[in-house]
Amino acid sequence: MRAALKVREPNLTPTTASPPRTGRLQLAIVLIGLAFLFPAGYLLWGTLTVGGDFWGSLVSARTLRPLANSLLIATSTAAACAVLGTVLAWIAVRTDLPGRRLWRVVFPLPLVIPSFVGATAVLSAFGSGGLIEFVPRLEGFWGAFVVLTLLSYPYVYLPVAARLSSTSASIEEASRLLGSRPVRTVFRIVLPQAREAIIAGTLLVFLYGLSDFGAVSLMRFDTITRAIFSARLFDRATALTLGLLLAILALVVAAVVRVLSLGTKTQSAETKPLQYPLGAATIPTVGLVVGVISLALVTPVSVFLFWTLRGSTTVGVGFSGIGDGLGFLIEPLLNSLLAATVAGAAAVLVVLPVAYASAKRRNRLSETVSTVISSVFAIPGLVVALAVVFWAIQAPDLLAGVYQTFPLLIFAYVLHFGAQSMGASQAAIAAIPSRLDEAAKVLGADSRRRFLTIDLPLIFPGLVAGGGLVLLSTLKELPATLLLAPTGFSTLATRIWGAAEDGFFAEVGVTSLILVVLSGVLTWLLILRRGQAP
Amino acid sequence: MRRQAGSMLRPVAALLVIALLVASCGGDNETITIYSGRTENLIGPLLEEFADTTGVDVEVRYGQSADLALLISQEGERSPADVFISQSPGAVGFLAGEGLLRPLGDQVLSLVDPRFRNDDGLWVGMSGRVRVIVYNPELIDPEDLPESVFDLTDERFRGQVAVAPSNGSFQDFVTAMSEVHGETGTLEWLRGLVDNDAQTYANNTSIVQAVGRGDVPLGLVNHYYNYRAKAEDPEVLSENYFFPDADIGSLMIVTALGVITTTDTPDLADKFAEFMLGEEAQRFFSEQTFEYPLAGGIEPSGELPPLSGIDVATYDFDGLGGGLERTRELIDESGLEGS
Repeated sequence: MRAALKVREPNLTPTTASPPRTGRLQLAIVLIGLAFLFPAGYLLWGTLTVGGDFWGSLVSARTLRPLANSLLIATSTAAACAVLGTVLAWIAVRTDLPGRRLWRVVFPLPLVIPSFVGATAVLSAFGSGGLIEFVPRLEGFWGAFVVLTLLSYPYVYLPVAARLSSTSASIEEASRLLGSRPVRTVFRIVLPQAREAIIAGTLLVFLYGLSDFGAVSLMRFDTITRAIFSARLFDRATALTLGLLLAILALVVAAVVRVLSLGTKTQSAETKPLQYPLGAATIPTVGLVVGVISLALVTPVSVFLFWTLRGSTTVGVGFSGIGDGLGFLIEPLLNSLLAATVAGAAAVLVVLPVAYASAKRRNRLSETVSTVISSVFAIPGLVVALAVVFWAIQAPDLLAGVYQTFPLLIFAYVLHFGAQSMGASQAAIAAIPSRLDEAAKVLGADSRRRFLTIDLPLIFPGLVAGGGLVLLSTLKELPATLLLAPTGFSTLATRIWGAAEDGFFAEVGVTSLILVVLSGVLTWLLILRRGQAP
Repeated sequence: MRRQAGSMLRPVAALLVIALLVASCGGDNETITIYSGRTENLIGPLLEEFADTTGVDVEVRYGQSADLALLISQEGERSPADVFISQSPGAVGFLAGEGLLRPLGDQVLSLVDPRFRNDDGLWVGMSGRVRVIVYNPELIDPEDLPESVFDLTDERFRGQVAVAPSNGSFQDFVTAMSEVHGETGTLEWLRGLVDNDAQTYANNTSIVQAVGRGDVPLGLVNHYYNYRAKAEDPEVLSENYFFPDADIGSLMIVTALGVITTTDTPDLADKFAEFMLGEEAQRFFSEQTFEYPLAGGIEPSGELPPLSGIDVATYDFDGLGGGLERTRELIDESGLEGS
């Protein structure tokens, strides 16, 4: 039975029927690759001109310890999210879990909570002086680990759920008919099928763990991003050098992971995916799901509510209660909605040629570009934003009008988050059964027609999952929005930041609640309804 | 499926059109662009007031003072900013050091005490914040609080002191300490904090919260943050303590305003600076944001201890441009960050 899974990769050298199209694809990939080199290019140029001592900083004790901490938090969170995200995806897509339509809306939501808000909420929730005193205070490594895991598992969950929803059930059915128990089927058949999606999502969590500053700094866990941030103004050489170090590290890890993910090709569904009745396992499964969501979503949301209601009785500047009305949040809400949907769609479209070429053809150019795209995600957002500023300011006069406009902002989002749509898209494209393509080719369909009628419908759930990740990440994005948005353009995330900066917690609370609700609506409308038909 | 892909793009396209329409709106009024390190809650109402009374379009970009200073320096000749407002003298001193600030008019400078502005007239202070100890009275008796910030390295405060070494105000304070008490003594104090197991936090707000929760008995912050905490939660267990005898621990730190060299409306920028130092704005700082007014003859809010009663240390922040680089080195050398 397993042999059937190993569809042999036919020789997929570009078809001789359409050489100009292939040439154009190559050119597009080169241009996309160059754009995604902007941040690393800026860091390299900066390190060379400001006179950063790359090797000196690398081996300095003041770099090594935070660097080791960064690797520790990134690796451990990635491992935890790989398990949590995969388990939740399997439960949501492949079981008869009660209320699963609702759970599917809820599971991706923690991703939208900015990490500094999530960390502040967890600090306020647990421990002495917190809302729930009997749970010990989470701080340091464990605090950062818990917060980052709870907020980042959707990086794994969304691509894996998309993958599982379009995986052929016939093999699993056969496996079960042949007498395998469900758990065994999961390990032998389901996991290998979702392997690429799991690896892609786990890499995203790892890279995000490297780049995070909010959660680690509030949890008082010292990482390399702290060193970058505290050096940024008065010791730019160090900040740029450490940024470059992070970029190189990310490139290496992304390349290694890409090589590891090469392997058995899996198939997409032509039939409806199999669903397992949970039976006696229903109650423990519901317990697990409720437990995870209680920590990842109910806890922060409760704290937001608490802040909102507590602060409502006081007076002074800023938000002083629901009674004042929430009209001041309408414009930020619309701006968030606009920026996030456009960024999500743009990231999918921009990255698609690279994902397609690298997953289908595996040539060196597309593999290299896909690695570069992934690596940008590990660079702290502030550095990516400053890199875009740097290049936009260098641009010829003709392009000067682009600076601090909406399109440039979207460009920055796509640069920073392109990795998210890349991973999910690659996993989906790699799963296209090549025999369908072959058959269509024999029947005389050209590559464009084959892409639109065969590939696109099969990969659509994966593309939507990747776009959804970008959408949710953009909703909480701060540095690029603050530095590059048109002057006066505020989003829910920038309002949350501004309020938190000076301790206006009631306003942080109410704005965060609206952000979570908006993400829920968008997840349902754009990610679920368009992506995986239940 | 193609239909599906198309129908997903339609709302996106509609949103894009709306965005372009919104972006293309805008009058022909005079415009002033402000990069503000003060957040919207702490300055927005004043900007609206200025726009209303003058008919000028006020465009504002909010962000962290340090990030905006970096942005302006990276924008260089092409900076759209006319005015930079900073939460602390450090970031504005950085721009002065880079030669990116243009001198303010004499009528603006005359409004502020020379101690609270740059000697070359490159920036002026707008409002003052005093460095204090925030403490939790359940964890430490106010009687036991130290006479001087230098006492915090005593054994009796082992593990009890919270600091935010990457925070701008803390760094400004260390710069001033280094100028007044010498670099050696300052480095010794920083190392003393490390040896005394001082607790490092991300920023002022997180220190005030930690003290309020009882995680740590006391911390070094600006006076303003505890007023905020009380406004959110009147029951919170955290109090301010001002060091006596003009100790450097009770240093007055100003929020500042400077005009960017590339501005094409220097007169309007000066007018804006005058407005921020005028009676109305200074009253706002005093009554709404619990800061110390620096001009216009306005008294501090009744909520605050009067300046005459607290012996605030002042320091001429002119040397900050280069001083902060050295401060960062000192903090780095002491190992306080990340400890």
